[in-house]
Amino acid sequence: MIALAIVLSIVVLLLSVLVAGLLRSHADILKALHDLGAGVGEPTGSDPHNQSSARAAGPQGPISVPLTMGPPLPGERSSISAPTIAGVTPSGDALAVAPSGSDQLTLLAFLSSGCASCAGFWKDFHRPDELGLPPRTRLVVVTKGPEMEIPGEVTAQAPPGLPVVMSTEAWGDYEVPGSPFFVLVDGNSGRRIGEGVANQFSQVAELVRRAQVDAGEFAEGSRGQPHAEGLDGPERELANDRELTAAGILPGDPSLYPSSLADVCPPDVGDPHPNRTPIGMAN
Amino acid sequence: MATLRAHGIEAPLPGGFEGRIFMRSSIGEEAPFPVAQFATFALPEEVGDFGGGAVTLMGADDIFTTLFEYGPESLGTRLFARQGFPRSLSPDNFLPYVLRRGLGGQSGTQWFFTEAGRPFTLYVVLGSHARRRSLVPRVNGLLANLAISPSPEPSLPSGARWN
Repeated sequence: MIALAIVLSIVVLLLSVLVAGLLRSHADILKALHDLGAGVGEPTGSDPHNQSSARAAGPQGPISVPLTMGPPLPGERSSISAPTIAGVTPSGDALAVAPSGSDQLTLLAFLSSGCASCAGFWKDFHRPDELGLPPRTRLVVVTKGPEMEIPGEVTAQAPPGLPVVMSTEAWGDYEVPGSPFFVLVDGNSGRRIGEGVANQFSQVAELVRRAQVDAGEFAEGSRGQPHAEGLDGPERELANDRELTAAGILPGDPSLYPSSLADVCPPDVGDPHPNRTPIGMAN
Repeated sequence: MATLRAHGIEAPLPGGFEGRIFMRSSIGEEAPFPVAQFATFALPEEVGDFGGGAVTLMGADDIFTTLFEYGPESLGTRLFARQGFPRSLSPDNFLPYVLRRGLGGQSGTQWFFTEAGRPFTLYVVLGSHARRRSLVPRVNGLLANLAISPSPEPSLPSGARWN
């Protein structure tokens, strides 16, 4: 009986050592995963999906968390700023888009010309009326720069009328983990208010709608005034040119280049400020 | 600071500005020349060379600027006699009637000059003439760092063209 008790005690002791070893091994694994940024065993106890709340808290205190969709983003991402995106267009012109400083939302679609999962988005963008984006939302496509993308391929995919910026730097600035990837910027606050991966554009549109509801007051803009009546844009300038040509005023006509206000307003009309600086030649 | 570079024009953009430097497609015998546009608001995709389609969207605190190159036949003419880019404008340079499209409250200025052997006009619109004293320093912040290099390629033959 005594011998059996001794054997059982030894067995229990061995099992205890084994369990302790397993627990330590498990702790080492969790620690390694945490160091890799997998979010397991987070000391704060936060949900992996809410990691952005921790990283969004800056020195000024907590900042509202960007909405996310798709899988959790890498833990080392730490910025919510929305810098200006500068690059080139597929045709070789230069283009810079400033998502901040306006009273609208800007949806940045980081796409590649070759990725299979981007193809559906490129196709959707050919039907802008069916995208389902709320009013006052500007859509901008950002691909990597010409050193990593073939401009001709991007041109073939991009619909006319949609701004496309080729900028590898922007992918770094916005910490884009891969394509396709979407970032929503609130122009008023100049911050990213949503980001993530989606399989269909309807998911992105839903993200925009949710963000718009959170942001509140995009429905009634305060900046733009409905000045435009009749023709506008390049058509208006072209129509003006035609009128001038029909009136016999051709390029180079002296009447187009007044050197003083008197050339514009005859003296008998009366200039309230006769000593004003000549047009176009002011100091 | 984001920087735009194309067609021999380099433009570091101060915060809040966006822009584009482009050449329109050639129509008939017209020879297109570079146009650079800068704005503190979202530029629509289709904008006239001198802001048609954009200036109507401006708020009171907004700025629109265009830098338009003319053909080499303009070189040496009296209109482009001024040598060098106007780097610093003053509020007094802006007048409500110097506008391609007269819109209430707005204000504009236009300059013709030659820089790096290329004839240009600079046209700036302020969203509010009344606020020109606070807006002009922002314009100058843009103009201060604009750089124009000699024409990157041989000049193309050009026909008469309206701007």
